[in-house]
Amino acid sequence: MPKTMKGTTRWVGYPASVLVVAATIVLLKLFPALTDSSIALLLLLAVFLCASVWQSGPGVLAAALATLGFNFFFISPLYTFTIADPRNVAALFVFLVSALLIGRLSALSRRRLRLLEAERRDLIALTQLSQGFLSDTNRETLLGVAADRLRQALDCEQVGILLADEKGELSQRIETERIPYREDIAELAFRQGNSAAYPSELGGTDIYLPIPVGLQRAGVLVARGLRSSERLAEACALLIGLAVERERFLRLTREAEATRTSEQMKSTLLAQLAHDLKTPVAAARGAMENWEAADGGSGASRLAREQLSALDRRVTELMDVVRLDSGAARPRPERVGCGEIVEAAVARFGDALADHTLFLEPPPPDLTVEVDPAQLTEALGHGLENAARYSPAGSTIRVSAESRNDEVYLRVSDQGRGIPPGDRDRVFDRFVRLEDAREVPGSGLGLFIAKSLVALNGGRLRLGESEGGGTLFEIALPRGAA
Amino acid sequence: MSRVLVAEDEPAIRKVVRDAFEREGHEVTAVIDGREALERFGEEDFDLVVTDLAMPNLGGLELVQEIRKRNVSAPILVLTVKNEEREKVRLLDAGADDFVTKPFGVAELLARTRALLRRRESAAPAAKAQWGDIEVDLEARTVRKKGHPVHLTPIEFSILRTMLGKPGAVWTHRQLLASVWGTTAGVTNDTLRVHVGSLRRKLEDDPNRPHWIRTEPWVGYRFAPED
Repeated sequence: MPKTMKGTTRWVGYPASVLVVAATIVLLKLFPALTDSSIALLLLLAVFLCASVWQSGPGVLAAALATLGFNFFFISPLYTFTIADPRNVAALFVFLVSALLIGRLSALSRRRLRLLEAERRDLIALTQLSQGFLSDTNRETLLGVAADRLRQALDCEQVGILLADEKGELSQRIETERIPYREDIAELAFRQGNSAAYPSELGGTDIYLPIPVGLQRAGVLVARGLRSSERLAEACALLIGLAVERERFLRLTREAEATRTSEQMKSTLLAQLAHDLKTPVAAARGAMENWEAADGGSGASRLAREQLSALDRRVTELMDVVRLDSGAARPRPERVGCGEIVEAAVARFGDALADHTLFLEPPPPDLTVEVDPAQLTEALGHGLENAARYSPAGSTIRVSAESRNDEVYLRVSDQGRGIPPGDRDRVFDRFVRLEDAREVPGSGLGLFIAKSLVALNGGRLRLGESEGGGTLFEIALPRGAA
Repeated sequence: MSRVLVAEDEPAIRKVVRDAFEREGHEVTAVIDGREALERFGEEDFDLVVTDLAMPNLGGLELVQEIRKRNVSAPILVLTVKNEEREKVRLLDAGADDFVTKPFGVAELLARTRALLRRRESAAPAAKAQWGDIEVDLEARTVRKKGHPVHLTPIEFSILRTMLGKPGAVWTHRQLLASVWGTTAGVTNDTLRVHVGSLRRKLEDDPNRPHWIRTEPWVGYRFAPED
């Protein structure tokens, strides 16, 4: 549209202006009663008309023609360019200046109007583009549509949207037509964020614009044969950046949602499985207890009851392992005191320590960590159980908590035989039990579970040697922000 | 003899619990979920409710809330599972008196309910009480251990008196803090833990392995009467 304006209309403006002024003069001649000042005003109106329709060139021509016409047809002596009354010279001069000024002003206002119109069109184009981007959530269709709309909005021959992949290569390309563009300039725009514009062999401009996302760049927008403003192109690049970013966030949210749902499902299924496995064992154990209470019981019934308890513990441990393996054991961290963890672990696993002397070093009350309380209680509990199993009855088991640097240490040390340094890593593997521990009941899963639970909570579990040569079970946890 | 209402959806567990209570000489009504339990509540009174936590139709927590809404004061014991501390706290705050964690021993279950039933018989706690070698006189505010007077700080005495008000029942941290300090603002579980620790050192034979003032991990404390 601006193209036709500039080409045809302006050329037409000159003869048209001549016609308009001539017609005005003829018309005025038909009304001889008109005064000079009225004639001057009506002629000025014609000049204004020409300038506002065909802009400055025809406007100036109309002004000159009107001045000459005024002189020739209306100022006495009529039909000559001579002026008898010297006052009329001044009047004619004022007329000429007014005509030129009016022509200039109206042409100027016309041009302003056209600029405003162009800006309005840009704005509408941008709004439509952004609406298109926001209603589409799929990356491929979004960009395909975007390229087409951009070509229309920017009034250009070809649009290319080049997006970077995870490796930072401009591998994803959406193009309206396959016209080669300058790879090196596109690359430069992406790497350094410089925009570039060249006169295009397609007419208009070739422009290479980085697509910004935050402080980074998502890719490059290439527009060839651009005839609209570069500012509009820049705004479009910004819009593409926003759309790409929005699409990425939506995708991340969807993925997170899907993961969460599958974890929840796993967790529910495993809880159901554990329940189904444990209910018959628990019922059998209870029935055995009832039977013993009614009947007095026997060595055989006691053995059966103990074995059912052992079976229940195994099932519990196995389910713990399955839950850990499947990622269903998600920690729910809280800020808790180390004293609380120690107290809880001793309360829950204390029965296993009945034959030992328990020595608790109370940690300072303000020593806190950010962990899942139940998981940490369980981990420390496995340490207590292990200590009770592998150290002689009557010996001391020591539990302490200490803060050093940025870490908090929870320790259980016993006076047993200890674990040879070469075996200390191996015992964390599942089902691994040392040769000389075969007589002690156990599944070989406790330490594996403990280590996994500690790791889930951002800590480390290691085995070492306690002061008396026994085993040291040490949980290190990040102290975190208080 | 007491009338016991048992709500449990697993038939085998329901049978075990029913047999155990009947052997103790109680009259047992066993139902399969919370909804049926509530229906029975409309028809007759019970002295004790034993309910599973997870049941179809109406679960244990909702059952506790409904029973307490009807102003029924019968003690309620809930059968819960391992690692459900938040659920336990919710249950106790909703008005449950105690819980037993599955898999439970029948002997443990019976001992807990005996304590709950005993408390129901003697509604007001006696001014003087004896627990093993500990003698407490609530009016005179004196405590003796093995016949020797024990000096308790006002907070320690208040904790002990609160717990003796419901021997055998579990007190959540929040309930204890509210009862002893009158507020839960500004006092932490750790403060409570320190005072309970000092109370244990004065009353328990082995404070590391307390017999009377038991810890319910991540839930609270319980004054355990002699079984």
